[in-house]
Amino acid sequence: MMLVVLAVALPGLYWDQGPETAAVLERAGIEQVFVPPARQQAWQGRPGIEVQPADLQQATKLAEPGVQFQMNRASATRSPWITANGWEILRSPAALFQYEAKGPAAELAAAEAFAYGARAVIATDEAGLEPLSLMLRFLRGLEQPELPPFADIGVIDDGSFETGELMTMLARGNLLFRIVDAPDPNLKLNVKLGTPEYPTEQAAEPHVLAAKVRSKLSDEKRSLRIYGSTIVVARVVGGAERLRLHLLNYAGAARPVNGIRVRVLGRYSRQKIAASGVDDPRLSDVRVSEDATEFTLPEMKVYAVVDLYR
Amino acid sequence: MNRRSFLQVAAATPLLAASEKVPAYRVVSPYAPSKDPGMPGPYRGKVVRVHSEQCIDAGSEAVNAEVVRNMISRGLCELTGDARERDAWARFISKDDVVGIKVNCSGAPNIMSTPEVVGDIARNLVAIGVPASNIYIYERFWNQLRSVHYERFVPAEVHIQAAEANRGSVLGYDPDAYVEVSFFGEEDTRSNLVRLASEKLTKIINVPNMKEHQASGVTGCLKNIAYGSFSNMDRSHRWEKTNTRTFIGTLAAVEPVRSKTVLHVMDGLRGVWHAGPFSRDRRFRFYPKQMMFGTDPVAMDRLLIDVIDGKRKAEGAPSVWDRSEKLLRMEGEPDPQFNRFLREPGHIEYAAGLGLGVYDIGRIDLRTIEL
Repeated sequence: MMLVVLAVALPGLYWDQGPETAAVLERAGIEQVFVPPARQQAWQGRPGIEVQPADLQQATKLAEPGVQFQMNRASATRSPWITANGWEILRSPAALFQYEAKGPAAELAAAEAFAYGARAVIATDEAGLEPLSLMLRFLRGLEQPELPPFADIGVIDDGSFETGELMTMLARGNLLFRIVDAPDPNLKLNVKLGTPEYPTEQAAEPHVLAAKVRSKLSDEKRSLRIYGSTIVVARVVGGAERLRLHLLNYAGAARPVNGIRVRVLGRYSRQKIAASGVDDPRLSDVRVSEDATEFTLPEMKVYAVVDLYR
Repeated sequence: MNRRSFLQVAAATPLLAASEKVPAYRVVSPYAPSKDPGMPGPYRGKVVRVHSEQCIDAGSEAVNAEVVRNMISRGLCELTGDARERDAWARFISKDDVVGIKVNCSGAPNIMSTPEVVGDIARNLVAIGVPASNIYIYERFWNQLRSVHYERFVPAEVHIQAAEANRGSVLGYDPDAYVEVSFFGEEDTRSNLVRLASEKLTKIINVPNMKEHQASGVTGCLKNIAYGSFSNMDRSHRWEKTNTRTFIGTLAAVEPVRSKTVLHVMDGLRGVWHAGPFSRDRRFRFYPKQMMFGTDPVAMDRLLIDVIDGKRKAEGAPSVWDRSEKLLRMEGEPDPQFNRFLREPGHIEYAAGLGLGVYDIGRIDLRTIEL
């Protein structure tokens, strides 16, 4: 069966049930669904809900995003385990992705897909419909500028599992990277597994390898630092004149972030914030110096977008 | 205070530690030191110890507020040489000050800065003209602070405030005053100063307890004002290793903490001789029935080591100075023969090297009062 191309920039709900469930969707505020091609006919003509077919046979399945707090387990890093899919999206930017995210994880999945520019559909249960609907409404209200990925590190991706693991750890640690075909002299650091500097056997412990990358880059040269949380992951796009920070709280709305401090290299004198589920979001304690811009995001539920302008 | 920005360079690394590796601390603070910093203050090397058998009943833990009041009065007067209590207090605090009382609630509700002690300090402040609304009792964690109910012992206008109403929140901390350091490669490398202390308070009175501490050896004046005033502290311990030896003094020396902390009242009515700073097991609580007064946190903490180690010796437990690895045990119920960390009582001598006070026991002027 041919893959139906999703002609939308936003992620959407994938719903494999019939039109008899339309009232459930309407109650949750869902205005658009992707359905299996076999169900398209049945849904056709249903008022109030726009229906598009989506064949997921060739879609790449992504894990349900979230955090596992392992309080009683000794760990090498003491950090909670974050399940994030950004690196996988970056590895296959043209692919169609499919999330299965239950309950409130659906809104995080939508935000993650949006932040990484993924073509994605999200299958969820009834409990996930309203959070997903609210997030989609929030995403629709955002300006969507075409901005290039912003990175400190270039990763030469050989497509291996090991490089994927490394990218997972880099993303979780807010070590900004992009995938490159060959070392890019414009980046501060380039990483290729299988070289004397980064032997493949070191990839057996990806967090150690990520720490090595961090050390080689040095914290001073990192374009982005987040203080006050280990569960907020950033995706950064833009350049010297304008940066966009996508900030994702992987613990979700049930565990909102009570303030994070963000440091960005570069002088950005104007800032704009949008945050899902937060009335009148504002940045506080903004400090703009010659070499860096810092601010506090006092409250964050699942997703926030900060635009910084030179 | 002028908020001119400057980088406080932690250049005064003590000579004693020159051979040992000190983490690369970057101290950032926009606050300038005062002409006469509170630590070690006007009574460098001087400590007054007041002991009374009547101050607390070891069985019921009932505190005799009248005796406590007398202990504080005698202690302050002996420290300053004043005949009148209010004259003694007026040496440290003026009626125009906004005063923070830095309590210790990490062992609450079993051990904490005793409410009767804190209540009497507040009473003395009001007596010299400080409006009750200009007094703040503060700690880092609200869940610990609220369990004590200080509000029952102070005028209603006194504020009781925690930096972290929600555990882990950065909002109660000053974004401009922090120590940045990586101990173990942790991602969050900043520890920020409690915002109340930097922005609102003009003076701080430090009220620690007398406790053994599994990481730092003892926790007294220095630990309470250092780890109790900054965020993101537990990152300094991992496995058996702690960085308390150098971190405590480094934090205590950050401006404006160093300048504003003008008096230490060490509450030793109760104490903890093992498994501190908590007190989940009453077996490890004891009753020194004393208080110490001074402006020199190093001298006071140096004496505290002897109090804790004396009790440990009496109980047949190893000294806090014993750092042999055979004493390490990470799991299981607390046992006085073992410890989770390699203790670092050397943090007190390190702080002396930063100019925070007198460590040499031979140079400490200890005055003892028995009531």
